[in-house]
Amino acid sequence: MSSPAERTLGVWCPDWPVVVARRDDPSRDDQPVAIVEPGPHGRVVRAASSEARVEGVRRGLRRREAEARCPGLVVLDADLAAEARAFEVVARATEAITPGIVLDRPGTLTFPTRGPSRYFGGDDGLSQRVLDAVAGVGVPDARVGVADGPFAAGLAARAAPSGGSHVVAPGDTPSFLAPWPVAVLEADDLTSLLTELGLWCLGDFARLPRAAVIARFGPTGARAHRLAQGLDEHVAPPAPPPPELVETCELDPPATRFEEAAFAAKGLADRLLERLAALGLTCTQVVVEAETEHGEQLTRRWRHEGALTATALVTRVRWQLDGWLSGHTETEDDGVTAGLTIVRLAPDQLIPATGRQLGFWGGDAAAGDRADRAITRLQAAHGPDAVVAVVPCGGRTPAERVRWVPWGEPRDDPVGVERPSWPGAVPGPVPARVFEPRLPVALLDRDGAPVTVSGRGEASAEPARLVGGPLGTATVVAWAGPWAQDVRWWDRVCRRRRALWQVVARGETTDVACLVVVEAGEAGIEAIYD
Amino acid sequence: MALPARDPDARARLAELGGRARPVVLARDRALDVPGSLSELLPDGLVRGSVAVVDGVPGSGATSVALTLCAAATGVGEWAAAVDLEGTLGGEAAAAAGVALDRFVVARRVPPARWATTVDVLLDGMSLVVGEVPRHLRVGDARRLEARTRERGGVLVALTGPASRWPAGATARLRVEGGPWPGLGAGHGLLSSRSPQVRVADHGTRERVGVLAG
Repeated sequence: MSSPAERTLGVWCPDWPVVVARRDDPSRDDQPVAIVEPGPHGRVVRAASSEARVEGVRRGLRRREAEARCPGLVVLDADLAAEARAFEVVARATEAITPGIVLDRPGTLTFPTRGPSRYFGGDDGLSQRVLDAVAGVGVPDARVGVADGPFAAGLAARAAPSGGSHVVAPGDTPSFLAPWPVAVLEADDLTSLLTELGLWCLGDFARLPRAAVIARFGPTGARAHRLAQGLDEHVAPPAPPPPELVETCELDPPATRFEEAAFAAKGLADRLLERLAALGLTCTQVVVEAETEHGEQLTRRWRHEGALTATALVTRVRWQLDGWLSGHTETEDDGVTAGLTIVRLAPDQLIPATGRQLGFWGGDAAAGDRADRAITRLQAAHGPDAVVAVVPCGGRTPAERVRWVPWGEPRDDPVGVERPSWPGAVPGPVPARVFEPRLPVALLDRDGAPVTVSGRGEASAEPARLVGGPLGTATVVAWAGPWAQDVRWWDRVCRRRRALWQVVARGETTDVACLVVVEAGEAGIEAIYD
Repeated sequence: MALPARDPDARARLAELGGRARPVVLARDRALDVPGSLSELLPDGLVRGSVAVVDGVPGSGATSVALTLCAAATGVGEWAAAVDLEGTLGGEAAAAAGVALDRFVVARRVPPARWATTVDVLLDGMSLVVGEVPRHLRVGDARRLEARTRERGGVLVALTGPASRWPAGATARLRVEGGPWPGLGAGHGLLSSRSPQVRVADHGTRERVGVLAG
């Protein structure tokens, strides 16, 4: 029932997002850097460099507050795919020591030490070996921890000095865990509740009777309780998967671009989860395997806290394929030399599914599945771009304020979040027709000369006629503007100056309101309020 | 190791029980309720398994009416899709019309040759599909889609303009006729939302006129 967790070694590369960002642009080396990601209420800090942390920039801080605390902070958007791609090098270096590595998220990995530890002369010898290997690929400040279970191993790595290791003796894991704050459990609702109840550290939580924890906090609490006690995360040891659950997809012609392989993998992931769900199971690890035209075999194992959901699984598979297909420029020896011919997904560490509740009569889930099938059919026939989702984003004009993302790909932005309006955004109702590129028209004044806008944003005359576009020649009955915009004035290459007009033109049957943009002397209808 | 396989007999029995306990489908459940000011024009909502035509010249407000219908579908937890021809549908306007973006997909820049099959596939999965009708849509294609809509129990909103028409039957025909734009003057003011005038003709009843409150 309460099996002690398996002896595990954890590697932690501190501030991995920052390391990756600095690698992309070495000029950021001595600047304070913060990586932000979209949260439920705007962008929050995901990682910060040590310079920024000294100024008080913390994880979870709102972007604006971070900038206020640390003037001169370089704020960058998180690029999880790039982080995963860069981490692939570290994974390969560690894989030379043991084949059983499990990636947790970009920046951390774990593996069971039972075999390699004996081979390399104990936990200390193994740790040193891992540190040397990781330092050899250019990550000198990685930290290594050894303890019972991946959770404790990760914390042990945090306790290690930079570029060093921390080994918790077998059996000492509960006492090692006791002083850590409950926040390390990374279950937000639960930890805030525990703190309110006065249970500040894992030791306090671990001392609670097990039955009481289950009664009060349910399966999530029970899992956290086991972690805090230094036990295995799952009550029943996860079972090895039967071979018939492996999903395979042959790619013909071989996929050389990551998008092709990722699209195929999406179908695999959906099928895999569907079959697991039918058996009442879910997996906490998934093995991504691929073979190339030249017979190379690639395998990588990904782990996920809690059970893998469809999106979480697809994201990990995408990262991995991206790493394989784009990463071979960095290391010559073990890169991929040809396109992928086979992609395989195998579930590992199966546990009973407890967390998902379907609608009583099939309900919403059934409607979603039906919609999903239709979307997949269209995407399979005409490419992922055939069906897209609307993702609102920041911008001034209607065309800038929306992104079209292929359905099923990460949107980066949470749906339904109220976003602040941009200064200079076009006010008023939202036009239902947006033209990209703009429809060329001529905005003429009373004498038939084009209306121009000066550098100071002043119009040469009042607009009187709109020629071209859907209306032919139409009289302008009302207008507002021009609003001059200097877009990206700090960037010599992308800088654009334009002026916007709201114009109501009298058509044959109805008045038509449109948004006219004058840029570089050319007028065009950007949107029609339809 | 034995997997906890589900008992197929128990499943079948549960399904049978579910069928018996399922509530009776009333006439109003066969329709998709339309919220807001459009409900006065379509008091019975959009009948599932039927085609509704929304017609209007560019700028009349026809697209807004179609997006409002999408919002009606996504608002009750169902899925909606839009098929546009030239990639001009405003995504932000969909959000502003109240469409739930996590249940709304768009097929953009669909070539006219592929239009009928695309709508066909989407009707399979979505409760409501807005299709911008291409020029010279073949009668055969339109009739096939009409039959498909009836069979799948979805709603097809055919969006037509001055250059296109829906050559098959429809339960409701909405003609959007635009209206004056308030708020904007000669060089001053700002465009504010307007309420386009909509005429509805469904077979058997006399024509109704109303507005789509913006």
